[in-house]
Amino acid sequence: MVSGETQKAEALREEVRAFLGKNLPEKWGTPAYKAPEPGSEQAIALNKSFTKKLYDAGYTGFGVPAKYGGVERPAGERAIIRAEILRSGIPLPFVGLGRLVVDTLLQWGTEEQKKRYMPGILSGQVHWVEGFSEPNAGSDLAGVQTTAVRDGNEWIINGQKCWTSGWDYGEWGFLLCRTDVKAPRHRNLSFFLFDCATPGFSRKPLRQMTGEPHAQYGELFFDDMRVPHENMVGEEGRGWYVAMTTLIAERGGGQVGAASGEAGLMGMASMRTLGGVDGLIELARTTRRYGQSVWDDTTFRRRIAQFAIENEAQRAYGIRLGQMIRNRTASGNEASMMKVTRTEQGKRQGDLACEIIGAYSQLVRGDPKAVNEGDYVFSMLMSRGTTIYMGTSEICRNILSERILGLPRD
Amino acid sequence: MAIELGLNEEQTMLKKMARDFLATETPKTFVRQMMNDEVGHSPEKWKKMAELGWQGLVFPEEFGGSAMSFRDLTILCEEMGRAVLPGPFYSTVILVGLPILDFGTDAQKKKFLPKIASGEMVCTLAALEESGDLWADDIHLRALKRGNEYILRGTKLFVTDAKAADYMLVAARTSRTQNLEEGITLFMVSAKEWGIYVQNMTIMDLTRKQYEVRFTDVPVSADNIIGELNGGWPILQQIALKAGAALSAEMVGVGETAMEMTVAYLKDRQQFGVVIGTFQSLKHRAADMYIAMEYSRSLMEWAAECVKEKDPDAPTAVAMAKSYCGDAVKFVTDAGVQLHGGIGFTWDHDMHLYFKRGRYDDTAFGDSNYQKEWVARKLESNLM
Repeated sequence: MVSGETQKAEALREEVRAFLGKNLPEKWGTPAYKAPEPGSEQAIALNKSFTKKLYDAGYTGFGVPAKYGGVERPAGERAIIRAEILRSGIPLPFVGLGRLVVDTLLQWGTEEQKKRYMPGILSGQVHWVEGFSEPNAGSDLAGVQTTAVRDGNEWIINGQKCWTSGWDYGEWGFLLCRTDVKAPRHRNLSFFLFDCATPGFSRKPLRQMTGEPHAQYGELFFDDMRVPHENMVGEEGRGWYVAMTTLIAERGGGQVGAASGEAGLMGMASMRTLGGVDGLIELARTTRRYGQSVWDDTTFRRRIAQFAIENEAQRAYGIRLGQMIRNRTASGNEASMMKVTRTEQGKRQGDLACEIIGAYSQLVRGDPKAVNEGDYVFSMLMSRGTTIYMGTSEICRNILSERILGLPRD
Repeated sequence: MAIELGLNEEQTMLKKMARDFLATETPKTFVRQMMNDEVGHSPEKWKKMAELGWQGLVFPEEFGGSAMSFRDLTILCEEMGRAVLPGPFYSTVILVGLPILDFGTDAQKKKFLPKIASGEMVCTLAALEESGDLWADDIHLRALKRGNEYILRGTKLFVTDAKAADYMLVAARTSRTQNLEEGITLFMVSAKEWGIYVQNMTIMDLTRKQYEVRFTDVPVSADNIIGELNGGWPILQQIALKAGAALSAEMVGVGETAMEMTVAYLKDRQQFGVVIGTFQSLKHRAADMYIAMEYSRSLMEWAAECVKEKDPDAPTAVAMAKSYCGDAVKFVTDAGVQLHGGIGFTWDHDMHLYFKRGRYDDTAFGDSNYQKEWVARKLESNLM
């Protein structure tokens, strides 16, 4: 006999499957499907329309009260939806960096800010850019030099931000500025939201070592850009603490991520390109070198198995972390652990794919003989950035050793 | 399957009770005393553990047990790893008690389980031979049928706690066919029988004694066959599965303790006028130790739950946990010695106890390399 609960779960599963079957792009999940170039107009349009459909169906927007545009569903239903969406292979998350704004506003925003910004983010309709890093403030984020000076009910912002993802299609942005030149470190910063259409704002691409023509990252310039005071998040001089909430969300410890099961923004990108562990096995099995398939080489085979093991370890840890968050025993610093492990793993995965293809790892996108159109090599190069952005692996290890293990700051 | 990890209230109490008991009853002075002891078994402590219901934790009440779960048992194993506990708990309960519970006849359960639970009986498994691996082709010890008896002849190696054992579960070859996984039979053999010679192996990890055991025409009744005649190999695989989960739990206890000792030392030790824990190269190593142990715990808890629930994924979960925990415990105890500096290399410091126990736990029932190979084969078969 099947219980009512089981029947309901089964019905929801069917509903999500039917929805995905109807709404995913044509040929999705088959080798014939060609994804639009990341960051291109088509990719943005596809992302917006698909996220809107998911949101309207109640399949995304979790972790936020309904009055701010969130979708409230029991954890069991969210898990079913998440599992079905993951099965379909849709890249997560849907709402990009805006999700960090949601987490930040949930903790620090005014009622008005929450109501104004969250629905557009959760439904995937407004894209956001991040203004944290500067040429002279990377790991030492508290050293930002972009200034905001008060003028009546406005702030005048001057300076430069870099390593901004989604730099070209972002419609709104958040940034950390110095608002007090005299106050001590960590207490001299404020956090602002700004409309990218504001005069005085400009942007340009930043070409990275992967060398692709469409730059994923850009630089932002602020030349007497005026922002209304109501766009400040948290109190004046408390921007550092506001930004910490953003960073924890970015590294995978946010409330929205926890509710939706999407642990952070990072890490999985390279894994997807490589087709996961199955993709690596397939690559190793179909690549013949020195008279045998690479899979028949014990060393390669066991290294691939190691990735499967690490993936399960991360999955099992995710279950534990979910419980810690529910029991309120999580500190938020756990996100640094996931960040460092996923990104370091991503690098090793990219390296392994390149080692499997041997001489062909020298051919990049554009060469007709490049394996998998150069995606393995691209992914291997791209992963180099992952251990630097959002807190380098070294900063993450500092956080873990100081805030979790209690070792002294140097 | 929706798996809940972490501990419930009852399990938290069990863990606390175990930690308190082991801290009071089996401190390092006791551990070192047992290391120097040829048998490495304290009947007095064994009785006290039985009074707490540990040996019979998972046995049904009718056999003198407490009817708790395998997951609960791994909590004890973890705490025993923390304490680098010497003695035959692992040999008796994990390697022999569980297979009798799972595969024994009612009469066999009545004969052995209540005595194990009450602390009157110590057992061990005699499975490995020359190769040191649990591999069907490598089991040569012969059992020849004579009337209603079998006569055992051959040598077993790496038999844990053999000198303390009252009974040994012996893997013997009862027939030889093309498929070497067939023709293996398990016998419960009294260690007091004439013709059994137990000899020390000079071992690295003195907290877990291992011996060479020679069987020179030892008679054993057919009534003492555990499981089916010639059906021993699947049982050995089940033993390996549960031992793998139990050893993973031990490794989590061993590794976490080594990490905690090291972090405490980094906060205390001064060089160059500062606490050495301020140095980033050491802090980062400590962070990596923490990461390794968090993932170890996650996989171990998942594997233990899978075994408890008889999940079809249990063999994969255990192989993954054992591989990851094995690598982690080797890394963490190596870093433990290194970060302690000179003192960590001494016999008097306890770090080497953890270092060596970790090595035993990794090696037993297939080390991290073997487990990775197993996982690779499994991944391959999933694709076909």
